[in-house]
Amino acid sequence: MQHQTDEIDDASGGPAPQTPVLRVAGVSKAYGATIALNSVTLEVLSGEVHALLGENGAGKSTFVKVLSGIVRQGGGALSLDGTPYEPRSLMDARRSGVSTAFQELSLLPNLTVAANLTLPHPLKGGLGLASRSRNEARAVELLHQFDAADISPRSIVSRLSLAQKQRIEIIRAISHRPRLLVLDEPTAALAEPEWLFRIVEQLAASGMATLYISHRLSEVRRLCNKGTILRNGDSIGPIAIAETSDNEIFRMMVGKRSEERRQVASGSSVVRDVAIEVSGLTGESIHDVGFSLHKGEVVGVAALEGQGQRELFRILGGVARPLRGTISLEGSLVNLKSPGQALAAGAGIAFVPEERKSEGIFLTQSTCANVTLPLLNRLSRFGLVSSRREYAVAADQIQRVQLAERLLRLRISALSGGNQQKALIMRVLLSGARSLILFDPTRGVDVGTKQTIYEVIHRFVQDGGSVLIYSTELPELVKLSHRCLVLYRGRVAGELSGENLSEEGLVALATGHNIEEIRSRETA
Amino acid sequence: MSAFVSRKVSDQTADRSIRLWLGNGALVVSILYVLLFAFYAAAQGDVFGLQPMNDLANDTLPLALAAAGGTVVMLTGGFDLSVAGVISLVNVCIATQIGDGPLNALWGLLLAILIGLAVGMVNGALVAFGKLQSIASTLATMIVCSGLAIVVLDAPGGNVSDFIADNATDPILGVFPAAGAIALVIVLLWLVVRSTAFGVAIYAVGADETAASLAGVPVLRTKFLAYSLGGICYGLAGFMLSAVTATGSPSAGTPFLLLMFAAIAIGGTSFAGGYGGPIGSMVGAALLVLLQKALFSAGVSSFYTVIFQGAIMILAVLVGGISASIAAGRSR
Amino acid sequence: MTKTSPSEHATAAPVPEASAKATAARSGFRIGPEGWTTLALFGLTVFMILASRLISSGFGSWQQAQAILLLSSFTIVLGFGQGLVILIGGLDLSVGVVMTLGGILAYRWIGTSLVALFWAIPCILLVTGCVGAINGLGATLLRLPPFIMTLATSLIIYGVFLGFTGGQPRGVASPALTSAYTSTFAGLPVILWLLLIFIILATLVQSHSSFGRRLYAVGTSPMAAYIAGLPVRLLIVAAYAISGATSGLAGILLVGYATGATLTMGQSYLLPSVAAVVVGGASILGGRGTYLATVGGALLLTTLSTIIEALGLAEGWRTVIYGLVIMLALLALRENMGIGWALTPKFRNTASRSRPGGAGHKPNKTGGNG
Repeated sequence: MQHQTDEIDDASGGPAPQTPVLRVAGVSKAYGATIALNSVTLEVLSGEVHALLGENGAGKSTFVKVLSGIVRQGGGALSLDGTPYEPRSLMDARRSGVSTAFQELSLLPNLTVAANLTLPHPLKGGLGLASRSRNEARAVELLHQFDAADISPRSIVSRLSLAQKQRIEIIRAISHRPRLLVLDEPTAALAEPEWLFRIVEQLAASGMATLYISHRLSEVRRLCNKGTILRNGDSIGPIAIAETSDNEIFRMMVGKRSEERRQVASGSSVVRDVAIEVSGLTGESIHDVGFSLHKGEVVGVAALEGQGQRELFRILGGVARPLRGTISLEGSLVNLKSPGQALAAGAGIAFVPEERKSEGIFLTQSTCANVTLPLLNRLSRFGLVSSRREYAVAADQIQRVQLAERLLRLRISALSGGNQQKALIMRVLLSGARSLILFDPTRGVDVGTKQTIYEVIHRFVQDGGSVLIYSTELPELVKLSHRCLVLYRGRVAGELSGENLSEEGLVALATGHNIEEIRSRETA
Repeated sequence: MSAFVSRKVSDQTADRSIRLWLGNGALVVSILYVLLFAFYAAAQGDVFGLQPMNDLANDTLPLALAAAGGTVVMLTGGFDLSVAGVISLVNVCIATQIGDGPLNALWGLLLAILIGLAVGMVNGALVAFGKLQSIASTLATMIVCSGLAIVVLDAPGGNVSDFIADNATDPILGVFPAAGAIALVIVLLWLVVRSTAFGVAIYAVGADETAASLAGVPVLRTKFLAYSLGGICYGLAGFMLSAVTATGSPSAGTPFLLLMFAAIAIGGTSFAGGYGGPIGSMVGAALLVLLQKALFSAGVSSFYTVIFQGAIMILAVLVGGISASIAAGRSR
Repeated sequence: MTKTSPSEHATAAPVPEASAKATAARSGFRIGPEGWTTLALFGLTVFMILASRLISSGFGSWQQAQAILLLSSFTIVLGFGQGLVILIGGLDLSVGVVMTLGGILAYRWIGTSLVALFWAIPCILLVTGCVGAINGLGATLLRLPPFIMTLATSLIIYGVFLGFTGGQPRGVASPALTSAYTSTFAGLPVILWLLLIFIILATLVQSHSSFGRRLYAVGTSPMAAYIAGLPVRLLIVAAYAISGATSGLAGILLVGYATGATLTMGQSYLLPSVAAVVVGGASILGGRGTYLATVGGALLLTTLSTIIEALGLAEGWRTVIYGLVIMLALLALRENMGIGWALTPKFRNTASRSRPGGAGHKPNKTGGNG
């Protein structure tokens, strides 16, 4: 990966050389074997709003954590106003002048707005005690200053709307008067992003540097001149936003992979019977979702974080219940009250959740016990399980997922993430269900495991099974699925199949754009 | 737009006041207390004089103190079972080690606080820094303390000095119950603690540890201090129990285990942490004590009283859970 | 399950590959970590019995070993139920009172009749099993914290005793039960043969039956078990019901041993039952532990308290030691921690790494796809 920082700076021949507020040089971070950040390099100048763009899993959130002092970088160097910056904690970062509005919101639901705004050190009145009136006065001052006077400082945060909470989170980050403000997807829940733009522009004019992390290109164009793109833990840039087309940006986010042709899915195109039919499904975060899944078919679901995909998959797995809508299996309506019922309904629906460690595998049990759990009844005589037969069956079956036999006797917690995932997939296959609901089954696993999972899915549908798969990795969806649904704000924003199924198309739909429009605009 | 916003806000305020009222454990329990007191007065007759009031306050205070301490821990999302052990240990120490006279009484009070603090610090260290489950680690400290209590005094007996037994339980200057005064002091102290960064942090940690740490709250330190503060309260409860009973017993604290959690639940503190407060728990404790007295004066035999306590325990936790979730606005 | 422990954030932190490999290598032996714990507990027990010869000449004999076995029979029986409840992540604080219930009923119903033995014992197990099931229903349907539910039922049952017995249970100790402790078969007291059968059956149920295997799954992760389609609530209720029944059984045995019944006869066996399970290496968070290790824990604790008594130390010290042993066992059994955790510098690293806001939190969000 080549970093073009210097060239572009030189080429643009900007104003007098200025010490950037934030300079990041070759920062890396690995969690165990997983590399979250490979090498990130960027600079943010005083008064600049710098965009940071990237797909899910590109390393954005890890980078935010490094900047905010939550995790320490593995390598590379950070400096703030020319001095080395190595925050050891969140408070340390804040003292150095970096404050962050987190995407997952760090507000306490049981406290008032005023208390949240002044955390962790409430303002003190006489007697050295926190004074409610002074805290509220401070909150009123902040809320007025930042144009949020409609929120009462006495409101309990849990009763605010998500948009209000997000504004409080942002105001709190700004209230520390940072040199560098980090905004992590600040508009995910904001109905009126203009509010934020005004404030950011105002503060930028007074010299504050801002790192603006978003997937919404329109906002980025509105607010930022320069940006950096993260892809697989590497930075690309800086790029001049105004001079780069949407399509080019999408391509940079996606990388070369989009040129890979689809392999697995191209095979069968014969339309077969419907396995699962969903219509009008409405829940807390999904609205009127409808689609059908046929036997022998892989249907992908693409969406940015938090567009309702989690609820949709949990409803189909029997873990959550919808408010409205129907699910039918092979033509007959079913009511999925529990995962057990989902497994037993019709030809069976098996669900692979995203949280492998807490909801998927049984960490303290052996790999063998994990795999054979659905077979216990068949393996036991008079209620007693023959461990010899169990082992033999497991050893026979795990070849299907290319898991080494020696791993069977180990505790599954000793296995790598990829092998754990293989064991989980194996268990789900052994449950006998003919429809698989896979939520990000390749998250954080190595390339080899991914390949194995693709093959398993491929073979499963060839045998007449059906698969609904959500993945944060678009190339995977493009490669695997016959059709791909895109969810945006809880609704099906579109469906791509055949030739139209491309990463750029998915990214555009997932960010609320329409790829056809973009293309026609470009050609025009 | 602005009209829309303002309407929404006013809706919220109305909604909030109803929820706060329903979810405010202290208020609901206080009303219940008044009702029960009326029943008690009808059954018992003479209850309004200084002496009966004083007796009632004395019987209530130990449990109220324990419940206040247990609440601080529960607000952070933990369960503290060590209360039973601490009260027993303090009780037998006061009953066997402390002589008569004001200086000795002061030393006794200090000893009670120190014992509570020490146990609380061990709990806090195990839970916050040792990352152990609160139930398991406080169960262990409870067992150790009950054992030590038996070592100090292996059978009911001993004698609490007259100075302590008289001065901590008689009305102050003959006009106001000392126990009532102590309860007031504790309430005031809590109001002070709640207004510190630590006080806010207790609620923050109990509601959402991750968000609290992202907001810069020192989570581990807060937990450690909460257990320590809880321990001090148990120590005080043990001291007051000794003063009231004027005798020692190595199992003096055992009944407190269940009653304390019942009081906390009745007082409207969420067992999941983050909602409620010690004042509600103290009123809840008063309600439980009054209930026992009312049942006794109504002539209900003691085994029914025991059964009642168990049933009320379950009911209290259920109702407390519902009211806490109303307060939290999560009543879906 | 009311709330997940905050420490789960820390334990779910990404395990460095190196240490994962080390664990893999270590557990490659045929005898797993649980097996070693069991062996260590039995070995320590034998060692202590032999070493106690130094204290008094009457010690360390075969007679004394037999006496210890007899004494520990109650904890061994209780430990099975308690172990199952702890296995599914609960805690049963009612075993003492339910044991008393079993004892009182046995005292009353069996009497001197031999025939009564055959109908009374199943009835008692049914009654105490139902009490346990009620605990389980409270913990699952009402979502009450297990320790509160079980404490409350024990209070209620105790109140019922008071009401029905007037403080003094009436009845006769069954000679048949007493003879289980006094008469011998093939050189050993009959009760020890019965205990052996019980241990074998219990081990089969816990570690080798499909039921037991499902309990392990529920205890390891109730949510994963639910998603895997297991009837989680039913399994939890079953574990509590078994705990009730084993408590009742222990009560019946105690009547035979003590030839009498009192209202507090089971009380002193509650703490040993928890301690034996925890010392046996079961995680209080659920999902770990074997019954044989619990048996080892029960023997070790009984031996320990016998020796303490022989040393002339007060009863209180025994309790103190129970508490300390539980505390040490908890600390030693923490995820990825050896017994020497406090002494090694590694501990400090781990502590600082899992500081809130440190790498430990929200591990799911950090796993990049790079």
